[in-house]
Amino acid sequence: MPDPVNDSKDRQDKPGLGAELIIPVASVLFSLYYFSTITDVPWTAQVSAFFVGSILGVLSLVFIVRSILRVRRGEATFGLGRLLEPVAYVPKRIVLFLLTIGYIFVIQWLGFTITTFLFLSSAMLLLGEGKKKGLIFCLSLVLSFGGYLLFVVAFETRFPEGPFELMVKGLF
Amino acid sequence: MEVDWGIFAEQFARTFTFWWVILPAIVLGLIVGAIPGFSAANTIIILLPLTLSLEPEIGLIFMVALYASSRMGAGIPAILVNIPGTAGAAATPLDGYPMTRQGRAQQALAISFVSSVLGGLLTTILALIAMPWLSQVAYYLHSVEMIVIMIFGISLIATIAARDTLKGLIAGFFGLMIGYIGADVVYETPRGTFGFLELYDKVPLIPALVGLFAISEAFAVIEGQSILTKRGQEAMQKAGWDATIEGTVEALRRWWHIVWTSIIGLVIGVVPGAGAAIAAFVAYQQSKTFSKTPEKYGTGHIEGLIAPESANNGVTSGTLVPLLVIGVPGGATAAIMAVVLQYHGVTVGPDLFQNQPELAYGPFTAMAVTYGIMILTVLPLARYMSRITVVSTVYMAPIIISFTLVGSFVPRGYLFDMYLALVFGVIGYIARKTGYHVAAILIGVILGPLLENYFLRALRISQGDLGVLFSSTVVNTLWVLLIVSLFVPWYLELRRRKARPAGGYDDEGC
Repeated sequence: MPDPVNDSKDRQDKPGLGAELIIPVASVLFSLYYFSTITDVPWTAQVSAFFVGSILGVLSLVFIVRSILRVRRGEATFGLGRLLEPVAYVPKRIVLFLLTIGYIFVIQWLGFTITTFLFLSSAMLLLGEGKKKGLIFCLSLVLSFGGYLLFVVAFETRFPEGPFELMVKGLF
Repeated sequence: MEVDWGIFAEQFARTFTFWWVILPAIVLGLIVGAIPGFSAANTIIILLPLTLSLEPEIGLIFMVALYASSRMGAGIPAILVNIPGTAGAAATPLDGYPMTRQGRAQQALAISFVSSVLGGLLTTILALIAMPWLSQVAYYLHSVEMIVIMIFGISLIATIAARDTLKGLIAGFFGLMIGYIGADVVYETPRGTFGFLELYDKVPLIPALVGLFAISEAFAVIEGQSILTKRGQEAMQKAGWDATIEGTVEALRRWWHIVWTSIIGLVIGVVPGAGAAIAAFVAYQQSKTFSKTPEKYGTGHIEGLIAPESANNGVTSGTLVPLLVIGVPGGATAAIMAVVLQYHGVTVGPDLFQNQPELAYGPFTAMAVTYGIMILTVLPLARYMSRITVVSTVYMAPIIISFTLVGSFVPRGYLFDMYLALVFGVIGYIARKTGYHVAAILIGVILGPLLENYFLRALRISQGDLGVLFSSTVVNTLWVLLIVSLFVPWYLELRRRKARPAGGYDDEGC
């Protein structure tokens, strides 16, 4: 009769290979897509990509077969394993990822200094679980303004411009 | 072309009087080298109005000092936070970062500084002596020879992926396929671009570097309060000046290792287009191949840090050789120097050594003086730089994400490149968490376009005849060397296994 407690413990002990299959599967899919974009070019322009893509396909296939055999032998599972571990950090990581997308999306309108200040303070508050608000506010302010002085003023780097950069342009 | 030592000595003394140009260039070079997206080439372009207004000799000294120091600067974040400042330092974290995690950041920085300076100094002198012969290297290397050199590069993937070769090869070939994205150089047909115009000009290297190393690292480190291991935190509490001295002594004790790995850098640097990244990985591979303890590589092994740092500084002087002797720049920074010299009406080539020796020898003496000043100014800073590793990840992760993402925007000014860096960040994060090495993917991204370009050119010249790959003595010799280099590690490993009982080392490498 199956023992649910031991079965669950077994699953936890065994490595989850599902996550390890993401890169090989993505590689094969990308190679197939790439091949579809070179069907009309002369063969001299195809040969190099077909050479590399075929090797990648074979290697990925060997890895997938190896993983299936390990699971069938009971040595591993198709779980996501280490990818999501430690699970307690998954929500933080997802919010940080969303904040990062927001940072890139907003920077074109708000410019480097304001967006960096907003991103740094919100991301630090998230990771610091709302503690040391004063320190985080000051640090974000110093870093974003210091970054502006170093990169935009001193190095004359092309950073995205926003209201702050346009406002103080006359000063520097 | 003979080397005039009298002029060289006079030039050396003269260069010292320009310390006021060299010192600010060192500070600037260390900063731009340490920030991903800011290369020496970009900085020199930004500062062109200043450089062009200076006397050609002073302008050249400024550019060379900035170039050499930026190479050293790129290794600092690679060691401290696993983020190479440039692609040339991409092999540095392989052993530098594990040392940091063990609380040996100060030693690692000292080793990196000593290796960079000694490697750079030695190759500068060697370049000066062997200039007439080194400059000929580029003449013997055509598309077919470069194909074999690129395959040499690809074979490095297996070295990086010591723990699971299959995973390493998948990561490397995946990187190669990513490197193939874009329009091909001959027919200009867009391939694998997903319809993005921004990818027609190939995958830009800085967003790939930022994403694979910095973004993925930032998302990974938030699991702990510190990037250091428990033992590392204890070691950092006790760290004093003795750690810097220890690192310096450890590097000096391995002087022979510095010598031969920096020569690898010099020779690869002479080949136009090969670059510091390839030199660093080749040196790492050779160092591991001929090591008595290859299993220690990737765990914070000193030789594994010395090899890439010596080699990428060896490249610095190597890239100047073809520029000054035959007028062909060996890299992007050397190309900008050529533009500045042309602006001042200076024609580079053999005549330069007769007509304006101060300009011909100047870059090498400036480089030697820069390295001399750098070791005195930078080495004492190792202790303070290493303190960054005790900063909590609560603050460090957001800083890494924001500043490196903006860094990926700088080279082309496309917002798209920031999104691209994020995509590479996701790929890098999955790779790190599932045991695929991000360095193997990066090697692929670097080598992919180079391999394809040479392949296309060779086949076009031979009108599609694959026999061109075995058409010269040089290329056939390179094929033999490639096969030998692939079999030597296997043979040596077999001998080692026979010689010692079973056992292993803890592997903390990423």
